[in-house]
Amino acid sequence: MSAAKNPIYVWVNEERYEQLQKAGLAHHTEERLAGLKVLVVYATDEEAKVLVDKFGAKHDTSTTGSIELLPAKVKNKLFDKVVEKQSLEVVTDALKDLE
Amino acid sequence: MAEIGHGGKEIKERILQPSEAKEKIKGLTEVPIRRQLANEVIGISYGFFSPLEGFMNKADVDAVVNKMTLADGTIWSIPILFDLSDKEVADYGIAKGKTVVLTYQGNPMALFEVDDVFEYDKKAMCKSIFGVDEEKHPGCKRIYETADKFVGGKITLVKEPTINEPFGPYFLPPLKMRQVIKEKGWSRTVAHQTRNVPHTGHEWLMKGAFFQTYADLPIEKPEVGVVVNAIIGEKRVKDYIDEAIILCQDELEKAGYFGPHNHITTLTFWDMRYAGPKEAIFHAILRTNLGITHHMYGRDHAGVGDYYGAYEAHHLLDSVRDKLDITPVYSMNWLYCPVCAEITSEGLCNHKDKQQKFSGTLIRSIVTDGVKPPRLIIRPEVFDQIMACSEKYGQGSPFVTEEYLEKRTSVFNIEPL
Repeated sequence: MSAAKNPIYVWVNEERYEQLQKAGLAHHTEERLAGLKVLVVYATDEEAKVLVDKFGAKHDTSTTGSIELLPAKVKNKLFDKVVEKQSLEVVTDALKDLE
Repeated sequence: MAEIGHGGKEIKERILQPSEAKEKIKGLTEVPIRRQLANEVIGISYGFFSPLEGFMNKADVDAVVNKMTLADGTIWSIPILFDLSDKEVADYGIAKGKTVVLTYQGNPMALFEVDDVFEYDKKAMCKSIFGVDEEKHPGCKRIYETADKFVGGKITLVKEPTINEPFGPYFLPPLKMRQVIKEKGWSRTVAHQTRNVPHTGHEWLMKGAFFQTYADLPIEKPEVGVVVNAIIGEKRVKDYIDEAIILCQDELEKAGYFGPHNHITTLTFWDMRYAGPKEAIFHAILRTNLGITHHMYGRDHAGVGDYYGAYEAHHLLDSVRDKLDITPVYSMNWLYCPVCAEITSEGLCNHKDKQQKFSGTLIRSIVTDGVKPPRLIIRPEVFDQIMACSEKYGQGSPFVTEEYLEKRTSVFNIEPL
């Protein structure tokens, strides 16, 4: 399996930020676009292909380099897994749950 | 007083009264048309495409392809084509001198007085209009998908379209638009071409263009209006849904970021050709006919992929400035700078390593997550409107899905005569 190198942006509102704070994960967020917080999780090439093929995502190679246009249910699952596992390495587990 | 449009020609609507229409269509062969052609019938009949009175004949197409003009020398950049297969031409008896009635959704829409039936070298047409002839360019693909024959001739509407909710108030054809501009007392107007839900980068494109257009005008009373002219046409999966585009643009005014004294949202029916510079010229023509005095152009106007240079459209516009009746307003990108703590222009801010550029992809990503961004990125009222449109019109998504394409209400209908 390839190293995880394809970023997925999970955007964080106040409610999500509170959850992250409680889980001691708030320090993992980065600020983008006027202070909007984001969690960046990474997918391997194989996982990125599944996200594109199965969930209609797009690998935005021209601007952000990230996996974009993922449905909300996938993003929500990724966020929930981050909180549950207290880790950013969650794509494999999230995909299993979504199968 | 005559309303003068592109090329110095008077704008005349080509629409029959219902009683006359019923008489005129009696006994005529009916030819059903697809949505794109129905859009263009509207464009011709209401004068959006003035001085065109119909679909192009070979002489006009030749001139567009070879000289970027109509046969009479008027600047024109995109061919307006009506296509039929050889079989349809035979079945309907299409020939020079014959008048048929075009139907849409099974109902009579327009008279079509055929004056030319011709073939054309599609590859040469693509090369001229799009600068390339490869099928992966969406404009070329559209040309290659046309049928074998093109048919030229005058169009006259026999039944005006019923514009469905929520689009009705935004359909302001050229003569109506010009009347609205007079009522508002605007001496200059600037067009904002859009197919997007607005973030603050778009908002500031409009505000910047407003100031550029205002220039030396007196400021005692409102003299300049921003005319948002949304292009409503073919939708592709993952585009913003039309309802969200039009209602969110209007929300900027309703929520007070603009006001009715300096802003209006309107629409034009047109399927984008993504012809970059040539489409920029076409947009200038459309908005001239709407009575708009200035037109905003940003980077890579109406481009796709990396087919056109960032300022290629500006250069082509500059080459025909004396033949256009609208003034281009060139806009630099707007961005967020955390040091300035505001939306600013790339031409102003010098915190180059701190600037946060707007990326359509990132904004879509945020919208998909349903996470309300800071008001400096998307206005909260606009975000709420996106979410409302998503529920009301988009089956839970603000972006076009297969389900939306299947279930959406048509933007307009042609009712029985």
